[in-house]
Parts: sequence; structure tokens; C-alpha cells
Amino acid sequence: MGEQVEVKVDRKAGHMVRTSTQSGIEVKPFYNDKDVQHISYAEDLGDPGSYPFTRGLYPEMYRDRLWLKSFIVSYATAEETNKAFRQYIANGLTDLRLLCDLPTQSGIDPDHPSAWNSMMCGGVATYAINVYEEMLEGLPLGEAVFEFAHAGMSSFLYFYGLLVAVMENKGIDIKKLRGNSINDPIRSKLVYGCPDFPTFVDRRICLDHIEYSVRNTPNWRPIAPNGVDPCQAGMDAVKELGGCLAVATQVMTDLAERGITIDEFGPMVFALDAESDFFETIAKFRLARKMWAKIAKEKFNAKTKRAMQLKIGIRTSGLSLTHQKPLNNAARVTLQILSCVLGGVNSLDASSIDEAVGLPSIEARLFNLDTQHIITHEANVPLVADPLGGSYYLEWLTSHMETEVNKYLQEIEERGGVFACLESGWLNEVLEASRLKVQREKAEGKRLIVGVNAFRQEGEEGPVNKAIRDVAYKPPTVAAREEKVAEVKRYKAGRDMKRLKPLVKGLYRATKEGRNTQRPVIDAAKAGMTVGECVGVIRTAYGIHYDPFKEIEMPDFVREIVKET
Amino acid sequence: MEEKRPIRVLIAKVGCDIHERGALTLMTTLRDNGMEVIYTGRYQTPKGVANAAVSEDVDVVALSDHTGSLPIIAESVLSELEKFGVSDIKVVAGGLLTPADVKSLEDMGVTGNYGPGTPMEVIVEHIRGLV
Repeated sequence: MGEQVEVKVDRKAGHMVRTSTQSGIEVKPFYNDKDVQHISYAEDLGDPGSYPFTRGLYPEMYRDRLWLKSFIVSYATAEETNKAFRQYIANGLTDLRLLCDLPTQSGIDPDHPSAWNSMMCGGVATYAINVYEEMLEGLPLGEAVFEFAHAGMSSFLYFYGLLVAVMENKGIDIKKLRGNSINDPIRSKLVYGCPDFPTFVDRRICLDHIEYSVRNTPNWRPIAPNGVDPCQAGMDAVKELGGCLAVATQVMTDLAERGITIDEFGPMVFALDAESDFFETIAKFRLARKMWAKIAKEKFNAKTKRAMQLKIGIRTSGLSLTHQKPLNNAARVTLQILSCVLGGVNSLDASSIDEAVGLPSIEARLFNLDTQHIITHEANVPLVADPLGGSYYLEWLTSHMETEVNKYLQEIEERGGVFACLESGWLNEVLEASRLKVQREKAEGKRLIVGVNAFRQEGEEGPVNKAIRDVAYKPPTVAAREEKVAEVKRYKAGRDMKRLKPLVKGLYRATKEGRNTQRPVIDAAKAGMTVGECVGVIRTAYGIHYDPFKEIEMPDFVREIVKET
Repeated sequence: MEEKRPIRVLIAKVGCDIHERGALTLMTTLRDNGMEVIYTGRYQTPKGVANAAVSEDVDVVALSDHTGSLPIIAESVLSELEKFGVSDIKVVAGGLLTPADVKSLEDMGVTGNYGPGTPMEVIVEHIRGLV
């Protein structure tokens, strides 16, 4: 293995190179009524809007409300991002994904030495409240839907804190805050290896955020176990869904210890991946709703309908997109969007065709929105809920995957639960084995990627492909980064330390004394506490080095707080 | 006949980029092709990478990044390597690259400069050719 050869497919004869789905589920050439005999309509499917919600959450489905359309909007500056948000909103975008650059997502400020190389990459360098104020200026904060998909667990605590702080400062009722945080402690470590906090701190911070949110911002979904990123890192569909269910189950169990019931918590959200395998992806979405509904009802004794409902937020597979012949990505993304609509998802963040080339251009993003409008208003796909329900193949596949996911959940349980599986390295082994399997299939020609290991481009690239390559967004220059560092230093020096210090002390003490950290984060953020300081203070309260990278020392005012406490 | 030591490669990720799959895929591919490979993991500093390259006595440093910052990363790693006074370690790069990035990397002496989806045998051959 290893060598990736080009597979020569006989274009005249034409043949499939595999007999299994992307996740390796062997399938027959056709399915009939005998394959679905064991499935009961009432128990396994139900009408859309009825338990177990396999066919969708609402009776009218998309007639009443279409899926939310969202993007991770991540440009280098707050000003550019604000401008892009306004443009997208004008074009029908309803959901704002606020992402920040990679260093702030990892819990360090832009003036940290390890921030330099990735500064302003992947999003705005969101180090403090001033950045959010500029980025959100003039946007309808009480009406928009926000999503947080950052890497580190510190991000959900801190950036949610910023959003609440900005709303309170503007006099907007925070009960109006709508959206969700990924806030998945397994994903932060398994996929990102995020250095901000150790896992036991991640686990506590996760619950602090959820507890505060459930009680104060009831329209915010404070956790959305994430299958997208494990899937992009190599997990197959069965393990992706199994992982989400395991995280959700663990978190609901932990919340019960804080006195929060599933009915108080409300609907669950999963962030799932729309992969290239069309039917497998649709089956996965239908199954996710069904399995969570059953767990909510049978394991957590949910009484209300909404507590049994799983909302699905999607990111289409960035990994499936190719650098070669980027125009082909339009076909890939369109099929992935279609699988989402047929699978009845609730929100959709579709990749852009230039994503494998650079950060997405605004034009590619607008094309992406238009693709969804065409599927809706020209192709009329969302007219009827779960239009593939009853298909022999799809129903068999959904049912078969349920058996496989249950086996995986059983194994996690036997190994002591999802956190034990993370800590022991077992989840990592599963991920690596799954990734290697994909790599081997590509090398052996069992998994064809058009333009990459099959149907490669001969000769010069055409003008359309070339144009896509040329318009992709370019990362910030050295000068822009230098200016950012100077700006952060000015900001830090200009703060009212008499106001800031006692609030940061409040966070330090809450962390140390085991009280909820979310409100202290909001209050200190209002006075200018940066993301790096937030992470550092919490770490210090646990007696671990202020800096996750161990490169910088704690600032003097934090040192004083530690001495005084 | 004198036995040739296997080619030693350090795969490195500098800064906070989390996209690791390319680095991992390259790692297993190079190992399958008989090379000795060390992977730094994520969140590394340029100094740490240079240090590892020298102490592990590698022939090649392969930089992987998907944030569009490869020229900046390469420049800082090269300057750290220079401080160690080593000039025989070859530096290659791969990840998200624009044509302008490739040009500036080539000007620094960084070769390869492969975009996503480059056939693995091309990279293997390139590294063999360098050493």
C-alpha cells in the first residue's frame, strides 16, 4: 500500500470498483420486501413529526420551515467578516457561524509566540470583546441564529460569554439568544488534541456552559456532539454516529448529577457530516433521530416530545473536495446537500467549491446558497417529507446501521464509557485504523476520487478551473500580523485594571471553589479579559501552568490575584 | 557493499493548524516505502522543529499546513535551522498553497510544495531524489 496509482477505468464498459458503501457495509445488487420484513412502520419509522422521528421532526417538515443555511464565516478581520455577514444575510443566509482564528480557538492570544504562524487563519483573531463588538455591529443579534464550532473547549465558555456580554451591553434580552455550541469534550481532544485544558477540566467546563445556558438562555443549544470532525479525521459513518450518541448519553448522565433533567434540557443537537456516499448519508441522518429518541425516552425517561427530538446540523465533507479540477466540487457539494434535504436535517453548512484551494471566496459561497435555493424552488425536493421513506434499500440500510451502531455503543460501554475510551487511547486507535483503511482503499483503487486517483486531468487546466483557483481567499500578510500583535498589546495596556482585576479574581475563585464558571467569564469579558487570560486563569486555579504551551509567564495582575487568594 | 541507512524524515506542523490527516497519511506512506519517519504532532514551534530535526539527524523536514501560511512557517523554520548551522537538511512542504506561495517557497529553497490530493508516489519519488 502507500503508492497511490491512477486507476484506469474502462470508460466504454463502465463498472463499479466496489460492492460496499463508503463505510464498508456490503450491499446486495438489489433489495425487496423480504429485506424489510422485520421493520415496523409504527415502531421504527412513524409519520414525520411522530416518535421515533425517523422520518423527520415535524409533520409539515420543510413546507413550514426550510433548513437553516449557514456558513463558517471566517475572514481575517472583524471588518471584513462583518461586511461578509451583511452580504450573506442579504442573500438568504439565516445562520451565522462565528469562528475565530486558530490560535484564539486553541486558547491563546495573538501576542503569544505560538500564535504567529496561524494568526488570522481560519477566522478573526477574536481576543476580546472589542473584536466581537466590531464584528457584530449592525447585525440583528436578537433574531439571528449563531453557531460555535471552535476547536477548544475554552472557546465555548469564552465566546458564548462574549456573545452574552455584547447582548447585555446593548440591552438585548439574552433569552433571545438562539443557536448552538458544539461544546463536545471528546472531539476537542480526539480530533484537535487541543492544548487549552486537560480532559478533566474540559469535562467540567462543558457542564458549566450547559448548566448556565439551560437556566439563562433557553433558546441556546449548549452542546452539539460532533461527528463531522471525527468523520473528517477518518471515522466511518457508524462510528461517527455512535460517537455522538455516546457523548450525548454521557453528558445527560453528568447533567443529571447537577439536577438537570432531559425535559429541562430540551432537544439535542448533533453536528453530523454529509459524506459522499449518498444513501449511507441519508440513512445515517434518519437513524440518528431514531436512536436519540429511543435513548431519550427509554434511558432518560423523557416525558416531553421536544426532549426526544434530535436536531441535525450539517457540515458537508470538506475532505471530499479536491484541489484537482475544483469545478468537480460543485457536483460533490450538490449531491451532499441533496442527501441532507432527503435526510431531513435542520441546518446546513455546505462547503464551497474552492475550499480545497484556499479559504472560500464570497462568490463561491453565494453559489453555494444558490445551489440550495435551486434544490428548493426549482427542483421542489423539499415538497414532501422523507420522500425516500419506504425504499427497500434505504430502510434496510437504516436498520442495518442501527445494529452496527448499537454494537459500537456496547463496546464503548464495556470499556468504561466514552471518557475512559478517550483516556486509554482506544478511540484514537479506532480512528487511526479507520483512517488507514480509507488510505489503503484509495491506494488499491477500491475508492475512486475523480481527478485524483481516477479520471485525472490530461494537459492544461481549463479557464473555469483556473478562475476558481485564482479567486480563493488569500491569508493575511506578515505586516497584517505584526499590526494585529501591536493592536492586542495596545488593547491590553488600555484596560481599566481596577475594574478588570476583581472580575478575573471572581473567575479564579469560582474555578477553585467548584462553582459555575460561566457567569464570571461573562462579567470579566465585559471588562476586557482576553481569551488567553481566561484560559490561563482557569488553568492556574487548577494548579497547572498558566500557558498551555508553557512559553509565557502569567501577567502580573494574575500573579497578584493568586497571591491575594 | 556498504549498507545504506534508510532516509530519515521529520514531518512537522508549526503553529495552531489542526488539519492533521495529510501529515498522518504521508507518515504511513513514507514508512511503507522504507523510510524512517518522525512526526512532531501539532502545535509545534519553529525552534522545536529545528531542534528535533538536528537531534534526530534527519535528511528531510516535511512541513505540513492547511492555513495558507506555509511561506511564513518555512521561513521561520529555515532561520532556526540556520542557527544550528546545518545546511544539509532538505526542507519540503505540502498543504494549502497558492501559485504565489509555491514561488516564494521555491525562492527559499523549499521544494515539493504539493497541494492536497497529490499522488503519494510523486512525493515519495521527490524525497528519494533529494537524498
